[in-house]
Amino acid sequence: MLYYYLLVSAIIFTVGSYGIITQRSGIKILMCIELLLNSANLNLVAFSSYNGNASGQVFAAFSIAIAAAEAAIGFAILVALFRVRDTINLDNIDILRW
Amino acid sequence: MALISLMIAIPLIGAIITFLTRTRQQARAIALISSGISLIISLFLLSRFSSSISAPQFLESTQWIASLGVNLKFGVDGIGLPLVLLSNIVIPLTVVFAWGETKQANQFYGLILLEQVGVLGVFTSLDFFVFYIFWEIVLIPMYFLISLWGGPRKDYSAIKFFIYTHVASLVMLLAIFTLYFMAPPVDPFTGQRTFDMFYLLNSYQIIASPILKDAIFLALLFGFIVKMPAVPFHTWLPDAHVEAPTAGSVILAALLLKMGGYGLFRIILPILPFSGSPGKLITLMAIIAILSILWGTFLALAQRDLKKMVAYSSISHMGYVMLGAAALIPLSVSGAMFQMFSHGLITCVLFMSCGVIQHSAGTRIIGNLGGIAKHMPKLAFLMMAGFLASLGLPAMSGFVAEFLVLVNSYITLPTFVILALFGIVFTAGYHLWAMQRAVFGTYNEKLGHIHDGAGYEIAAMAILVLLIIFFGLNPSPVLNMMTTNANQLVALAAGLKGVIT
Amino acid sequence: MFSDYAALIVLLPVIGFVLTLFLGKKLPSGGAYIPIAAILGSFIISLGIFLEIYPDKVIQQSWNWFAGMNLGILIDPLAIVMLLMVSFVSLLIHIYAVGYMAHDPAKPRYFAETSLFTAAMLAVVLSDNVLQFFIAWEIVGLCSYLLIGFWYHKPAAAAAAKKAFLVTRVGDVLFLAGIVLLYVNMSQIIASHAFTLPQGNFILQFKSMFDAIPQIDPRQLTYITLLFFGGAVGKSGQFPLHGWLPDAMEGPTTVSALIHAATMVTAGVYLVARTFPMFVAAPDSLLVVAYIGGFTALFAATMGIVMNDIKRVLAYSTVSQLGYMMLALGTAGIAIGAKAVGISVFHLISHAFFKALLFLCAGSVIHAVGTNDIREMGGLFSKMKITAITMIIASLSLSGIGVPLIDLGIPVNIATSGFFSKDAIIEGAFEFGDKTGNFIPYIFAILAALLTSIYIFRLWFMTFSGTPRSEKHAHESPNVMTIPLIVLAALALLFGYSQTGFYNYLEKNFRLMNVFVPVHQEASPPSLIITLLPLIMGIAGLLISYAIYHRRMLDMSKLVSSQNPLYKLLIKRYYEPGLSADIIGVKITHGVAAQSGEFVDRKIIDGLIIDNVISNSLIKFGDVAKKIQTGVVQNYASIVLLGIGLLVILLMLGGA
Repeated sequence: MLYYYLLVSAIIFTVGSYGIITQRSGIKILMCIELLLNSANLNLVAFSSYNGNASGQVFAAFSIAIAAAEAAIGFAILVALFRVRDTINLDNIDILRW
Repeated sequence: MALISLMIAIPLIGAIITFLTRTRQQARAIALISSGISLIISLFLLSRFSSSISAPQFLESTQWIASLGVNLKFGVDGIGLPLVLLSNIVIPLTVVFAWGETKQANQFYGLILLEQVGVLGVFTSLDFFVFYIFWEIVLIPMYFLISLWGGPRKDYSAIKFFIYTHVASLVMLLAIFTLYFMAPPVDPFTGQRTFDMFYLLNSYQIIASPILKDAIFLALLFGFIVKMPAVPFHTWLPDAHVEAPTAGSVILAALLLKMGGYGLFRIILPILPFSGSPGKLITLMAIIAILSILWGTFLALAQRDLKKMVAYSSISHMGYVMLGAAALIPLSVSGAMFQMFSHGLITCVLFMSCGVIQHSAGTRIIGNLGGIAKHMPKLAFLMMAGFLASLGLPAMSGFVAEFLVLVNSYITLPTFVILALFGIVFTAGYHLWAMQRAVFGTYNEKLGHIHDGAGYEIAAMAILVLLIIFFGLNPSPVLNMMTTNANQLVALAAGLKGVIT
Repeated sequence: MFSDYAALIVLLPVIGFVLTLFLGKKLPSGGAYIPIAAILGSFIISLGIFLEIYPDKVIQQSWNWFAGMNLGILIDPLAIVMLLMVSFVSLLIHIYAVGYMAHDPAKPRYFAETSLFTAAMLAVVLSDNVLQFFIAWEIVGLCSYLLIGFWYHKPAAAAAAKKAFLVTRVGDVLFLAGIVLLYVNMSQIIASHAFTLPQGNFILQFKSMFDAIPQIDPRQLTYITLLFFGGAVGKSGQFPLHGWLPDAMEGPTTVSALIHAATMVTAGVYLVARTFPMFVAAPDSLLVVAYIGGFTALFAATMGIVMNDIKRVLAYSTVSQLGYMMLALGTAGIAIGAKAVGISVFHLISHAFFKALLFLCAGSVIHAVGTNDIREMGGLFSKMKITAITMIIASLSLSGIGVPLIDLGIPVNIATSGFFSKDAIIEGAFEFGDKTGNFIPYIFAILAALLTSIYIFRLWFMTFSGTPRSEKHAHESPNVMTIPLIVLAALALLFGYSQTGFYNYLEKNFRLMNVFVPVHQEASPPSLIITLLPLIMGIAGLLISYAIYHRRMLDMSKLVSSQNPLYKLLIKRYYEPGLSADIIGVKITHGVAAQSGEFVDRKIIDGLIIDNVISNSLIKFGDVAKKIQTGVVQNYASIVLLGIGLLVILLMLGGA
């Protein structure tokens, strides 16, 4: 059974990474990061169940909480950015470049 | 009794307190007191110092980073103690001289105290790692002194100063690490290594490859001659001096340059006899020395800015240090050490004079001054004394040093001494020419009404002048301890007879 | 008992210096009485010591100083006569200066500096080693610098002070080089055990140097003595370093009298006399001394004839007379050996008296008239009788005029001191010619004697005779100034009679230190015409000046014009000031050497290497290298993923 869980997790992770690399919109990138985190959470829960050790699930719960906080901050930044620059296209936000 | 660490710690504590003070009165009082305590400790060291022993005295050692073999090891010998004394004389007098500083006074005095911490550490530490740390500590307060209190081109000068000397220290650091790893471990079973200075210098001679030896030697030498500075790595000095505030210039010329010279005696001379090709290296040092002497002299002659002229004269005077060191005769080496001590005192007077003139007349350009002796008689008197000392007038300390260097270096480096003698006339030339145009002659009415130096400025300069005359008439107390160490350094080079051509 | 206090000879004026410098403002006359008392003390001690050691004792005291050098006192006949002369003349000039400087606001500085000068000059005289000699010698030079530039607000004075210091500095460097060479030679012969330094002796002591002469390589000895003589040339204003001395007249006249006539400028002669045993061992050097001295005597006298500044005439006269002293050391040293020192120093001392007197008289005149230019003087005789009479005594002495009764069979000459001292020098030069067949120094000396007489009486007649040429109201100077004039005039008249005793006393000088200086047999006395020729020259000069400048028998306007190339050459001082200051000083040194150095520093080291090569290439490299960092996080993320993928593949390959 573990195999399937890991397979799903790997697919979600790949999708997330692909999104991070290719997408230009800040919102989409943040969502992709959520995918990465959740694929990791899935792995943690799967291994926890497989090993009969609850600490993995505790860790996953912890990680979800962190992810929520991260998403909140990330979206807050994007909102703030949008107010200043009228865009959240990351290609246009390059004032620190060179 | 950890007297030396106390001597270093007190200005450090003083600096921290000074940074926290709110009024300039508090700041300068604390600066004066803490640097003064340091001076008292060093005088106590002097009174207990035995000048017939060449080994470091008042040794103290505390383990710091055991895994690297770093110890907080301090001690003074005849090379270090005179410079410790010099630092502790110059810093309190600089504080006195800068008594009227108003711009961010607490930071200003604090940085001066940090300089004291740095130079005292350099002159006393006997562990390469600690030595290097202090060596670098010195740079930072000076950078800020120039870049915060400096003149119009302060940013350029501060950066130039920093990069120049920092590059040199990094090259030196490479050499230190090479020595560290080439030396056999102190404990062959655990492979424990040490940064102990004497241990590393002694193990220099068992390095097999002569090319590696010479590379280490040149890297260390590079570190020191940039600091001294010697031609052709000298151009940072005039720029730094021109922009630095007077107190910064005084410390820079009187103490920071001496670090380079100190390195020559502490580190270069002990390994010189064991390098791959000592004869060539000595010739190289002598060439650099003579270039510095003559180059500094002629460029001083070309300057229009009084302070820049004094800066070039420092280059010329530090050339004598190099020349005496390269000659490897006991009295030439101790003469060179004495030159450092004496130049430290003399150059203070010169830079302080420039500072007073700048402050009072608003310019240092020699051509724009003229006849200021009329309104600044006290300054003119002390400046005259300083200039005369700088041009090597007998009965002042500079003469003793230059005489010893010239007379004794002739034995091994006759050609170079003859060239150096040529410089003496021109040295007198630029000093007197500058005096004639800036201080004497008819008063330049365009300067408006100018006033003499403030009491504290005059007092600081007068004390220095008295010290210059005292050590000119009675050099023995300092010279004797130097000679002990010089004898020991030259004894190391006993095998070199005939190598020098 | 006085000899225990020998160090006080120097220390008293030093104390006088310090006290006057700091307290002078609060005391009457600028504190002049402190240095006067101090120098009087020095004179009394010197006199006591002289009475104690005469005729054949020497005082030596020595203290360890630093690095194998010592401080010491050596009072031998040579030193004691100099001590007496220096302290006495300095005392008189200090007294005179109370009157002369009465209206100057900076009196305390003046008296402090002259007191320091006296101390240093006395220290030169009684040094027992060459290092201390050099140190005192330099301080003497410093005081000369300070006092020439005493009126520093005058640009000419500031420039003259600088020139004096720098030109003598050239000599000083040669002297220093000589000391270096001597020290090295001494330490080498000591190291090779060819010579052992006795216990309690020091390496640079004169005694040790003389003892080591036989062991030193003669060629090295020639170099050393020539370098020493180089120092003497600078200090004593000999050709080619003579140019500073006439310029030095920018200082107060008392300074010229003290420093640039009686004492400091004679230090060069004293140096050669002091190290005479070394010069004797290096006859080539002695020959150089003779030529330079003789040439300078003539060369300076030619310029003395045309100068119009009363002090410059005297300055050239001083240069010329110093040339005589050098000539005496050179020629007589070769021809008659040890006695040369006596001949030269005798002239030195008689010159000190009459030249100090001449300067003080000139000072008195300047004080009264307010100008230095003799063309604006004239007719002062009736107004300033004491000055005029004392000055004519000095002039007679300078030109060596006297009545040689001995040659007529009467046992005593009636003559000025210059007659005795100068005659001996010219005779010495003749004897040198007689022995070696080389009469060039003699011709220099005899021609210079004629010129000397012409210029000094030209000076006197222009100043005191005829009718006043300007509206200035002149008056005789106060007593405090005229009394020193009278005392010096008495000495200028009478000092010559000590000739025989003086020669005998000084001839013993080196023997008392157990140093052998050969004494050559004196030749039979030369014919009467040779003996009388210097006197004839002197009187001829007097008559020529009388005819031209008093009776106005010749119209000089043709000769004295810038159309006359010879006159132009002389009045321009052989173009020496232009050459030394403008061409060597400003154009070559400052213009070419210094500016090209500045160019290298600014444009090559800073501009080309630091800015262009190092800085700019680093910046360019950075510009290229920074493109790698796109700043787009997604690029980095792709590269991270790529890296991880590669790692995974590698691990799988490795695992398989």
